[in-house]
Amino acid sequence: MLFLELFAQGLIYGCMYATIAVGLTLVYSLLRILHVAHAGLFALGGYLGLLLTNATGSLILALPLAAAAVGVVGMAIYRFCYEPILHRPPYVALIASIGLFIALEEIFRLIFGPYGLTYAQAPLQETFAMGGMTIRRVEIVIVVGSVLILGILSWLSRHTRLGVAWRATVDDPQMAASFGISVLKVRYLNFFIGSALAAVAGVFISLLSNLVEPTMGGVPSYKALAIIVLGGLGNVTGTLCASLLLGVTEAFGTIYIGNFMDRDAIAFAFMIVVLMVRPQGLFGGR
Amino acid sequence: MLRSKRVVLVVLGLVILGVANATGADTIKIGFNTPLTGFAASDGKSCSEGAKLAVDQINAEGGVLGRQLELVIYDDQAKPAQAIPIANKLIGKDKVVMGISGSYSGATRSAAGVFQENKIPYISAYAIHPDITRAGDYVFRTSFLGEIQGKAGAKLIGELMGKRKVVMITLQNDFGQSLAAGFKSVAERYGLAILNEYQYAIKDRQFGAMVAKVKADAPDAIYASGYYFTAGPLVSQLRAAGVTASVIGQEGYDSQKFIEIAGDAAEGVIITTSLDRDSTVPETVDFMKAFEQQAGFKVDMVAASGHTAVKVAAAALAKAGGTDPKALRDAIAAVELKASTGEIRFNALGEVMKAVQIQVVKAGNWRHYAVIDDPELLAPPEN
Repeated sequence: MLFLELFAQGLIYGCMYATIAVGLTLVYSLLRILHVAHAGLFALGGYLGLLLTNATGSLILALPLAAAAVGVVGMAIYRFCYEPILHRPPYVALIASIGLFIALEEIFRLIFGPYGLTYAQAPLQETFAMGGMTIRRVEIVIVVGSVLILGILSWLSRHTRLGVAWRATVDDPQMAASFGISVLKVRYLNFFIGSALAAVAGVFISLLSNLVEPTMGGVPSYKALAIIVLGGLGNVTGTLCASLLLGVTEAFGTIYIGNFMDRDAIAFAFMIVVLMVRPQGLFGGR
Repeated sequence: MLRSKRVVLVVLGLVILGVANATGADTIKIGFNTPLTGFAASDGKSCSEGAKLAVDQINAEGGVLGRQLELVIYDDQAKPAQAIPIANKLIGKDKVVMGISGSYSGATRSAAGVFQENKIPYISAYAIHPDITRAGDYVFRTSFLGEIQGKAGAKLIGELMGKRKVVMITLQNDFGQSLAAGFKSVAERYGLAILNEYQYAIKDRQFGAMVAKVKADAPDAIYASGYYFTAGPLVSQLRAAGVTASVIGQEGYDSQKFIEIAGDAAEGVIITTSLDRDSTVPETVDFMKAFEQQAGFKVDMVAASGHTAVKVAAAALAKAGGTDPKALRDAIAAVELKASTGEIRFNALGEVMKAVQIQVVKAGNWRHYAVIDDPELLAPPEN
């Protein structure tokens, strides 16, 4: 019974990690940038989702609005932060990204205050019993929502012209460009989708804890990096599997080894063990 | 033309600076390090608001020794590496007559060493690490040690509430560790059986796995250390999973924000703290009213602690009759003062001796539950 509950919690953690990390891996596969500021967009999503929900009273309205707005901010970050330094070595973009992330945290603090914000009436908190477990509706929404969103994206990338163009650009940008694909358009699309996903994850997390705070991007900023390394940098399937594995490992780890290893230590120890066996990551081949 | 404009600007700037300096020339400066940015910024904001209020109140009544008080505030981000240069700057450049820490234990310990070395008095408003006052005889603390609050927690659960089976959820930092140490040291005395102890990091907000395990443990009470931003999500997740055991917290919970985050789940949560919302003591009542007016949000323990520390500083200044560091130190050591967080008296180590307030959440507000005034149990270390 406890085993089942821990497994379910692991699945919930995993789905959240997946929604955050997929955007990061998309950016890496296309531009070879470690986009740390992605976690800042995750926090921005949380803030917008909460503020819009409080203003309109409807989460169903607020979630897509927040995702779209953060998607646009993601495109702006590409345009004004990364594009001007694309020809420089990768660490330049990494440093810019870290700087941007810290700046975002402090901007949230200045605008929204240091205390964090809460929902006026937190939605989806009703609980029900399922197979002997007590589950909150928001937990179901997170799992179903993440699977649905990622499933639809994967289908679109296979069955639409834009999706095919996107995959072609990731595989070989020069070849794609010579076939008339607008590489720039693909990059914007990439940032839009990745950032919108981060925003969705931010809203999900804010629903779980009824709290958005300036530093909420802190944990995802490095854990998502660990996940995409684990998944074999730039590999979407690998990232999804790594997220779920890490979620479940953490759920059990916090109970059975949590007293001498904290949650992050468990995550990174897990990463080190996997990388010792498979240095290219779980699904890395390149 | 452009050049003359620039000259005018420079002269104007100098004049403004001169005026600003002139008004500041005759004030008594008190240094204040607190986290205004970073993860602890909310506590820094509360504490500095409380301290500013105390300064305003004192100045409105004519100041101390016929001079106005001035708070020199620096942001230490709750980081030890930031606190050391700040302490040096406060002493060397700002020439403060004493310092107050509105910060966490790490930063406060570092700064305390610098103040002690320079023989300038230093008061810790709410940092709980035992080593802070051990820096030397110029360092004082106006709040409880973690261990002492932990002991009060054990007495609360075992004696006042009559619960037996306890699960501990401990925050992995000096705050959580020292609370846990104090709690365990007297758990047996109050007949408590500790079923399990789980630890979490200050960054954690998702406790699903831990909650599932606590539910399986089926305790009567949960002694969970944390701050409002960890305890809020923890308590709401415990209740959502159907855990009905009493939750006992500490002063880290002590904020209206905790109730906002946990919502209905906060009802019935009991904490050990130093601020009594239902107090009839004029010092506390006046403080709470004035704070909400000035700051625009509800009072918390950290704000009251900042307020208390400044009041202690002012009382010592008045008593010393001057700003001589040695006389000031002796005056602080001899302070007997009614403040917003209770009656302040120090022992030989510079630790405060006062009663622990027990508060409970009722209908969305912190309310009086009990007072633990047990001088033997609450006695701070003497060295």
